[in-house]
Amino acid sequence: MSGSLLFQSLVLGVLLGGLYALLAAGLTLYFGVMRVVMIAHSAFLILAAYLAWWFNERTGLDPLLSLVVTVPLFFLVGVGMQRLLITRLRPATLTMMSVLLTFAIALFIEGMIGFVWSGTQRRVQLPYSGSNIEFFGANIAVVKLVAFVLAAASLGALYVLLKKSRFGQALRATIQHREAAQLVGIRTDRVAALGFGLGLATAAVGGTALALDATIYPSLHWHWVGPLMAIIVVGGLGSIPGTAIAAMVLGIGQSLLQVELGTTWAQTLFYVALFATLMLRPQGFFGGRLAQRF
Amino acid sequence: MASEPTPAGGPAPLLVLDDVQAGYGRAAMVLRGLTIEVPPGTVVCLVGPNGAGKSTVLKVASGLLKPRSGRVLVDGDDVTGRGPQAMLASGLAHVLQGHSVFREMTVEENVLLGAYTLRDKARVAERVAFVRDLFPIVGERWKQLAGLLSGGQQKQVEFARSLMVDPKVVLLDEPSMGLDPKTTATVFEQVTRMRDAGTAVLLVEQNARRALETADLGCVLDLGRVHISGPAPELLADPQLSELYLGGRPAEPSLPVEG
Repeated sequence: MSGSLLFQSLVLGVLLGGLYALLAAGLTLYFGVMRVVMIAHSAFLILAAYLAWWFNERTGLDPLLSLVVTVPLFFLVGVGMQRLLITRLRPATLTMMSVLLTFAIALFIEGMIGFVWSGTQRRVQLPYSGSNIEFFGANIAVVKLVAFVLAAASLGALYVLLKKSRFGQALRATIQHREAAQLVGIRTDRVAALGFGLGLATAAVGGTALALDATIYPSLHWHWVGPLMAIIVVGGLGSIPGTAIAAMVLGIGQSLLQVELGTTWAQTLFYVALFATLMLRPQGFFGGRLAQRF
Repeated sequence: MASEPTPAGGPAPLLVLDDVQAGYGRAAMVLRGLTIEVPPGTVVCLVGPNGAGKSTVLKVASGLLKPRSGRVLVDGDDVTGRGPQAMLASGLAHVLQGHSVFREMTVEENVLLGAYTLRDKARVAERVAFVRDLFPIVGERWKQLAGLLSGGQQKQVEFARSLMVDPKVVLLDEPSMGLDPKTTATVFEQVTRMRDAGTAVLLVEQNARRALETADLGCVLDLGRVHISGPAPELLADPQLSELYLGGRPAEPSLPVEG
């Protein structure tokens, strides 16, 4: 591999990793707060991507503007979903049953997308779709850069929210010891609902970022379930910084492997990392038991 | 044997559980007509065999478990059936069994979360100074992750967290569980200091003899009722009680007595 190609792959890997971090952030949040394995997260990502595409198609405006509607909408859907569905599950079997429940929701969303917009592949066409900028000799697609900036900004905002705000303190306390959180006066069921809404709101941003640079079709979400799950396990379930680091490492790894092995084989990196994590350090590499979360 | 509340004639009790029945799910009742009073400025200790319902008493008092019948009174107000937030607001703080610090937060964050329901910043600062003074180790470990502290230190962080709201009564569930004898002694010393600082304590302990030595009043629970109650030294001196519930001579482990 030549030096400039290596550098190009590295830069693309960083951009990809940033996007992965955003796509996986919600997933680790649901698990951290409620021990919910949210299979439908990717389906919501694709739904947001479709909404961004449709918005652009209808209005001709930049798809990023669709966030004004989709972020609050997804937040409310998330709160509703937690309140009406997830809380009905028995605590003892919550994690297992949440797989089944959210699997059903994923199928429902996929079916709905196909019904409304058909199975045709779609792609957002933007004035800057084909443009590149040069960055120390590497050629970077503007859409990838925009997606990365969007991901970095929303992850930064999420971090500050969880670390500094009163709600963030309450959410982290609920994750770490639910009963003790109740006893200091935190309404943990409300916090859990808001946490779920927050997770789904990140899916709105993530899906929109994804739509800028991907061809979308209704069943695309299945392609994402595995890699995103792998990222949150490698990162340490429930840890957002852990997820961000794991996403970055795997994104760069995938980007570098792509050059030598091609896209299909590079994709297996996620599963190799997943197996290795479960064998060597099941609590994850970057979140861990006593590592500082968030 | 009839359940007798604490001796009459003292000041009005801060916490009263009156004829409380409570249980979990469809399982049999754990508390069957239990009556307990906690007067101001005292440490009241609940002792009794495994399954007597000691922890359940505290869960009912702090609102984690709703009683099926009976009343819970705090300072004369009926607060029966309210949730943990309302119970906290009425002046009851509960320190759970085992470790319940927020492990991946600093001691500071833990203590400040104790004041989650307080909005007045000056008041919070005042309480922080108070608990740091009462539990010096909390101040020494202020910036460290709570999960990295030793068991006894974590317990003191939990005590400090519970005192942030200046509760009328602190409910302590097995504070000595899993601690070595020296640390246990420190923890009981802290319980006395909490009382001397003006907070009444309702203490549940497996380590019955040690707890009664610390407490002012004692209640022996069996099968969900108060079996005997009275001043702690009297309970300690009672040979029959000693045999049944405190494991005979001090050195021997206590045998649970069923029925």
